[in-house]
Amino acid sequence: MTFLIQQTLIYAVPLMIVALAGVFAERSGIINLALEGIMIFGAFIGVLFVNLTQKAGVFAEAKAAGDWVALQGFMVLAMLVAAIMGAVFSLLLSFASVNLKADQTIGGTALNLLAPALVLFFIRIIANQNTLQMAEGDSASWFMIKKSFFGYGRNDEMGFFGRTFIDKTYLATYICILLFIVLSILLYKTRFGLRLRSCGENPQAADSLGINVYVMRYAGTTISGALAGMGGFVYALTTANCASTGDVAGFGFLALAVMIFGNWKPLNIACSALLFGLFKCIAASYASIDINGDGVFLLADLGISPHFYRMLPYLITLLVLAFTSKKSRAPKAEGIPYDKSTR
Amino acid sequence: MNGGLSKLWQKGGTKSVLASLISILIGMAVGGVIILVVGLNNPNLGLSGAWEGIRLVFGGLFSTGRTAAGQLTFGFNSTSVGNMLFRATPLILTGLSVAVAFKTGLFNIGAPGQYLMGTAATLMLALGIPTETVPAPLVWVIAFLGGMLAGALWGCIPGLVKAYLNINEVLACIMTNWIAANLVTWMFDGSNYRNLVENTKSGYIYKTSYNGVQTAKLGLDKLFPNSQVNGGIIVAIVIAVLVYILMNKTTLGYELKACGANRHAARYAGISDKRNIVLSMAIAGALSGAAASLYYLSGNTEFFWSTYQSLPATGFNGIPVALLAASNPIGVIFTGCFMSMLDIVGLQLTNLTAYNEYITDVIIAVIVYLSAFSLVIKLWLSGRGKKHKAAPAETAAPAPAPDAPDGAQDAKGGEAK
Amino acid sequence: MQTENIIEMLHITKEFPGIIANDDITLQLRRGEIHALLGENGAGKSTLMSVLFGLYQPEKGEIRKNGEVVKINNPNDATALGIGMVHQHFKLIDVFTVLDNIILGAETTRMGFLQKKEARAKVQALSEKYGLKVDLDAKVEDITVGMQQRVEILKMLYRDNEILIFDEPTAVLTPQEIDELMNTMKVFAEEGKSILFISHKLNEIMSVADRVTVLRKGKYIGTVNTADTDKQSLSNMMVGRPVQLEVVKEPAHPGETVLKVEHFSVPGKGGHKHNAVNDVSFEVRAGEIVCIAGIDGNGQTEFIHGLTGLEKSSGGHLTLCGNDITHASIRHRGRDMSHIPEDRHKHGLVLDFTLEQNMVLQTYLEPRFEHFGFIDNGAVRQYAEKLIAQYDVRSGQGPVTIARSMSGGNQQKAIIARELDRQKSLVVAVQPTRGLDVGAIEYIHGQLVAQRDAGKAVLLVSLELDEVMSLSDRILVMYEGEIVGELDPKTTTVQELGLYMAGAKRAKKEGEGA
Repeated sequence: MTFLIQQTLIYAVPLMIVALAGVFAERSGIINLALEGIMIFGAFIGVLFVNLTQKAGVFAEAKAAGDWVALQGFMVLAMLVAAIMGAVFSLLLSFASVNLKADQTIGGTALNLLAPALVLFFIRIIANQNTLQMAEGDSASWFMIKKSFFGYGRNDEMGFFGRTFIDKTYLATYICILLFIVLSILLYKTRFGLRLRSCGENPQAADSLGINVYVMRYAGTTISGALAGMGGFVYALTTANCASTGDVAGFGFLALAVMIFGNWKPLNIACSALLFGLFKCIAASYASIDINGDGVFLLADLGISPHFYRMLPYLITLLVLAFTSKKSRAPKAEGIPYDKSTR
Repeated sequence: MNGGLSKLWQKGGTKSVLASLISILIGMAVGGVIILVVGLNNPNLGLSGAWEGIRLVFGGLFSTGRTAAGQLTFGFNSTSVGNMLFRATPLILTGLSVAVAFKTGLFNIGAPGQYLMGTAATLMLALGIPTETVPAPLVWVIAFLGGMLAGALWGCIPGLVKAYLNINEVLACIMTNWIAANLVTWMFDGSNYRNLVENTKSGYIYKTSYNGVQTAKLGLDKLFPNSQVNGGIIVAIVIAVLVYILMNKTTLGYELKACGANRHAARYAGISDKRNIVLSMAIAGALSGAAASLYYLSGNTEFFWSTYQSLPATGFNGIPVALLAASNPIGVIFTGCFMSMLDIVGLQLTNLTAYNEYITDVIIAVIVYLSAFSLVIKLWLSGRGKKHKAAPAETAAPAPAPDAPDGAQDAKGGEAK
Repeated sequence: MQTENIIEMLHITKEFPGIIANDDITLQLRRGEIHALLGENGAGKSTLMSVLFGLYQPEKGEIRKNGEVVKINNPNDATALGIGMVHQHFKLIDVFTVLDNIILGAETTRMGFLQKKEARAKVQALSEKYGLKVDLDAKVEDITVGMQQRVEILKMLYRDNEILIFDEPTAVLTPQEIDELMNTMKVFAEEGKSILFISHKLNEIMSVADRVTVLRKGKYIGTVNTADTDKQSLSNMMVGRPVQLEVVKEPAHPGETVLKVEHFSVPGKGGHKHNAVNDVSFEVRAGEIVCIAGIDGNGQTEFIHGLTGLEKSSGGHLTLCGNDITHASIRHRGRDMSHIPEDRHKHGLVLDFTLEQNMVLQTYLEPRFEHFGFIDNGAVRQYAEKLIAQYDVRSGQGPVTIARSMSGGNQQKAIIARELDRQKSLVVAVQPTRGLDVGAIEYIHGQLVAQRDAGKAVLLVSLELDEVMSLSDRILVMYEGEIVGELDPKTTTVQELGLYMAGAKRAKKEGEGA
């Protein structure tokens, strides 16, 4: 059970934060189809930052001394760098959609093509292979929270809560959850949030009230890029052992589906992210899921092909979209370039 | 003389071609700049290495390797040109696939999945039907049509959910892509088409030449010796012409385009928009399936079946092919060749320099990015073309006429929200 | 020192590529007056107001407030100068509450967080003071058009604006609501607020305005006191020639029943429980013009969609020329019905198609244009040229003009040409003259009367009371999805019509009232 919850969270949290990234862009009126690409880019930047910092030996002492606070700081720094570069990367989308009034679907697709191409091009040159990894050690030994940090011994029991939510988890997961809450409040309870949402619904009205639609759309997309970039790195950190391969296997699109399923509302998104996280977790580690701890690996024992489990998240997404699309309500003005001369 | 030129300029097509050429040039220039920057920062490459890279980006098709002294040489390379035509074959077809969907107001990003399903059907038919009892050319035709059918059926899925449930076709396409990737792996996983004869080739399916079912060369191998080119390119060009006729000369094409340009007006005119959306995606899927069929029926290509973690680039590259051609089926023939030329460039870069083929993917992505606002480029071009001529009143006059805002919104008329 | 004029717009010129929207226009607004701005559609009224509101920058001319030159670069500047505007198309966010809409752009915040309590109190006070009843917590999409307009007015009051612009505010209101609005405007003026009232309706201007400035084709024609003028001379100033205010037509000679609607219902959209059209029954006979009148949003659109097949009906029967078409396809219905749709951009035209392609939108499958699945482009061209000549459709490049580049009037003419040339027994025309200038309106009215005289049944849907009164032979009033009354335009009055439109009066249905 602990394993199931931990694994689900590992997938659900990046999904949640990247879906929220989608919300910020779409609520401002920009369809951010580039979430996948920005994730890929953010993951690469974060891993590269870790890799280069390790090579420079900045945190070597802290690692040797077991100073886990410093190492957590290192990780947060990497998240920050990934977020910043994700935001920068997303400027390509905002520039095309806001200033040049481009087709946002095609613009997003371009970024989705550009990110893996750039990333693989540089990985090949830097690492001379198709994967960029940490320079030394792995993500578990460097960044994972362990019970020893809190004075527990190897054989000490932390209780269900501690075992599930503290031991062998990543701080990044909780930072993302916190950010998710903070940003949801920002969206609904502040002046900025009110204005941002008005631009996604009726930019002409917002403009007539003196709100700068262009600035708001840039803001929405930039926040979106930052979150997606960070989400990409967190995904790589927690599920791919802090390695970048120029691919997140459609995770960004799953996040978009989560966003639609969550009807562009944070609370619903959090719930649907958990659901999708569960399926993704089943797909990734169905063979080692032991639900009630009796040593029976139910899903593996069913004898269903592993390919079926891998297919499951995508299949479920399609089905869920099919059943919920009638009710879903996208921001009215999303995808329509705002042209001041037509107000 | 001058009148002729300005007439040519007035034609929308001319501007589209120019806009595409500008996109291509900027895309390649960006590639060149990246090569230069990387070269200057990399002691192994340096300026001379970067210069070699840039020359290959622009002239890779005509690269003939290096001299003994290590100098790059250029000239007509029959292998490269032949291979370019060979690789253009599936790209033209996936490009047509995306283009047909575009004309109906749909974004077919599901070409990779349709391509994979086409691959699976084609290979199973080509390798599964015994050539001892059925003549090989007949098997070829069956396998080709089977591939098209599989692609068409797979394309129907996003079409159906778009038409009847109004699900964004982009998301539906992406999901069907990944489902196809897993499904195809699953299908081959237990099959006996896996190439177990050659031990070095784990994860590969037999070539169709194993069964004697391969595309006829039609003498093209004589024209371009030492290359993989075959009759498939002719088939692709013929299909492109047929698609052109379908879209521009038939009532079906008229209906499809009406649905794409304004779904509501099409409905008003009694055209079944739902049927046309499904039909358009089916045609698009069939074209992607045909792309896979022609590629894998060639006899010298083998399918790596354990690909559940990645999608075939040929499918995605149909997008820039269609965008560059402004969805014109005839234009697709040329842009398909251009894209396969970039493939060759990538190969030459990997073979001859320390750079790798991913730079061409960067160039492609930049071109797609520029295509997203090709309208702006076109407007800019027409602004230069007829500075002194007044634009038609209604297009230009924004708010005073109450029509203008409506008209602007209807630009996305195909997208029923 | 207070000047007499609170706002002066002097010699304003605003050009768009290929068109001069405002050509040397001067407008002087006095403190505390109601000043009407009169002009046809496309005369440049909205552009001039957009300049005043900071949405456009003029190429020439200056704006003065209290005698001092001011520069208005954006709506913020306008608000700072106390200028507020109720736009013709309301600028409201449908999914926001009324309160959120009112405070948007002028929010009170503490550390960035919204403080809605004070705002609520202020809005409530304003709403009570002026009798502008609104439900602050309702979402805009759930309230009536009249209430939406009150929200727009409250937006201006909330910002303490002293110069209020009303852009065609009466188009969506019932005659009674219009009276209310006029009274509110007078109260504002008495309080010293200055009002600019944009309209092309002469009755309203005569009843409420102190002075009128007339624009025509982007040019300034003149400013007159309403006390010194009358409707006919205002209308001459507006159009530039004497205008026939009434439609000339002979009495109708209705023949056989062409369309029979029995207990017809159309479901509401988006989870609304009520039917958008509920239990409607009536007949249209050959040789008469029957008009469905009513305020926008009372089910007319849904009824037409149900009638033409664009939406599914949920009950009742439709009989057209003796055939039951209740469940027939759109194309099948088109055999005896032509349809001039409400929204010419959404339904009427494929804007990115050429004019000739649009001309055959309904007929491309007929044998004269189609052979074995191929389109006969030559025949299409010939047919389009015939229609263009016959109906005087003007366009840049004739049959190959892209429809998007044509003017609104000519787009509508093209649709009318296409639909009337099909010679169907029933002509359905929905707001056929919306947004057009007087010349085009006269032409279209003439065409519809000609159809009637040729023995066609004409079903007209109109929001313009003048059009309803002058064009129709019978009037059906629709209110909240039901036909609440049938009136004879020769014997009824606008006031009576208004009572029906507002739902204040209704004819008793069979079986009711006992």
